Amino acid sequence: MTLRLYLLRRILLVIPLLIGLSLLTFTVSRILPGDPVGLAAGPQATPEIREALARQFGLDQPLPVQYLNYIAGLFQGDWGQSLYSRRLVLDDLRVFFPATFELTIAAVFIATVLGVPAGFMSAVYRDKLPDQVVRVIALFFVSFPAFWLAMIFQSILGVTLDWFPIGKRFDVLLAPPATITGMFTVDALLHLDFQAFGIALSHLATPALVLSFGSLASVTRITRTAVLDALDRDSVRMERALGIPYRVILSKYVLRNALIAILTIVALEFGWLLAGAVLVETIFDFPGLGLYAVESSLRLDFEPIMGITILYGIVFSLINIAIDIAYGIIDPRIRYG
Amino acid sequence: MAETNLTPPLTSSPRWENVRRSIYRFRRNPLSTVGFVMLVFIFIIALIAPAIVPFPEDAVGKVRALDRLKPPDGEFYFGTDNVGRDIFSRTLMGTGLALQVGVVIIVLAASIGVTIGCIAGYFGGWTDELLMRITDIFLTVPALILAIAVTAALGKGIINVMIGIALVWWPGFARLTRSLVLSLREEPFVEAARGIGAGHLRVLFRHILPNIASPIIVKMSTDFGFAVLTAAALGFIGLGAQPPTPEWGAMINDGRDYFPDRWWMATFPGMAIFIMVFSWNLLGDGLRDLLDPRARR
Repeated sequence: MTLRLYLLRRILLVIPLLIGLSLLTFTVSRILPGDPVGLAAGPQATPEIREALARQFGLDQPLPVQYLNYIAGLFQGDWGQSLYSRRLVLDDLRVFFPATFELTIAAVFIATVLGVPAGFMSAVYRDKLPDQVVRVIALFFVSFPAFWLAMIFQSILGVTLDWFPIGKRFDVLLAPPATITGMFTVDALLHLDFQAFGIALSHLATPALVLSFGSLASVTRITRTAVLDALDRDSVRMERALGIPYRVILSKYVLRNALIAILTIVALEFGWLLAGAVLVETIFDFPGLGLYAVESSLRLDFEPIMGITILYGIVFSLINIAIDIAYGIIDPRIRYG
Repeated sequence: MAETNLTPPLTSSPRWENVRRSIYRFRRNPLSTVGFVMLVFIFIIALIAPAIVPFPEDAVGKVRALDRLKPPDGEFYFGTDNVGRDIFSRTLMGTGLALQVGVVIIVLAASIGVTIGCIAGYFGGWTDELLMRITDIFLTVPALILAIAVTAALGKGIINVMIGIALVWWPGFARLTRSLVLSLREEPFVEAARGIGAGHLRVLFRHILPNIASPIIVKMSTDFGFAVLTAAALGFIGLGAQPPTPEWGAMINDGRDYFPDRWWMATFPGMAIFIMVFSWNLLGDGLRDLLDPRARR
């Protein structure tokens, strides 16, 4: 099968997945107890006001009709409307998604830069002291409650040392760079505004660091296993017998063989952190998808939750497809089928 | 069915031989041994906390207005909180709750996952296809966000936190169980059992499940720490146990407004979460090696 056909098939398979996802969140939002309309209308609302509100949002119709309306809307670019703020979900997602995307990229970058060399070292010194130390450190960092660590880092790096801002995405007194991608660091660079780039980056630093800890352990562990696998090949024994310097073997042959597993875990961690940024965003008051999701959940405002879930499903599927394409680039022997 | 005595009694069956070999490998991993010892210690604390803490009544709603926000000293080892409760007593009393929450989440998630995985793997065909597509959907959902949304919809409370988290936790167990069942389905002993007329349920429970139990138990313990961590996160957001229950996540949330000036309020419950999760993760590190044949070399 050619790559193009394969891609087309994979992309078509995303559609039933998205329908399943929307059905799941729809069920959660409409069938579980909880009174979204009452919460949005406020405690003083008369039954008439509540009825009017329910009618305005189509909540008075039978559930299957509501669901079909929602799906039809999705395809027309109408992702629903927040019951609480009355804002369009798609408009909110346009603002919040790039923020979380930016934060997650920074966090995955940190986890990769620290985790891959650590895992590599761990494998090369298998069962020796460096291996044990790396494993303990990785387990150590992943065991902290992220919200607690975020709080402590915020007060040390943000208040005591005053190196980084304590929260938000940008200096509250300044206007962020004009929107191109919605990611402040990227937009600042596109405008060649290096001061704004610095400000945006300093706001990313602490939350990204805390967020990266969650992925550090798995990136390290998978790298270690992959390198151990690669080291155990007959080809490595042959290369050593040929007298190729060990350093060259490691950096040239072993690394390349371990690359597929490393790439997979890094991409998957990216997908997971995108949804895992919830707590860190809450502490740093970082206006991204996670904070949006928590606030909407607490208000029982389910249209944004459905929007977030569907957006996330799309992104996660795209990541998986991208991984498959990357396999083919790293290892030309892989055929799509 | 009558048991035959024709074969000599086995001193060690192959299954036991496997378990014994696993225990040997496990004990060679110093990290897991440390984790195991720490967990024994934590279980003991959970059991005896009500008897040994200086102010057990502080975990059930007593307030002492005169002792508000006292820093750690000889009387209040971890200081007191904003209503004058002893944080040392509350933190230790919270150990049992954290363990219970972890157990319920993991057992609930494993029951759902193993059932679905068994049915999918054993019956195959369109049943398998349907169940695995559903599992895929749950795997794609942003887990923490769905758990928060479900808990919020069900209403605040520790029971709903456990339901919400278990609901997003089972797919891992379903995938694992299915692959294990698939690997055993065509084994001669399963065919033999079917051949002598054993029903599906008997084959599954008597012949397949006992042979796949150990990887599932290992996954239950490697997941335990993260389940505790997730539950604490929901408690921190305010969805979990309501006051005055000494739930660690909620205690950190209480201390958030007083941080860092009155650092002790949030610091000690946070350390407690860390120690518990770290212990489970150390234990899990060794257990995971037992499961992963590539790491056995």
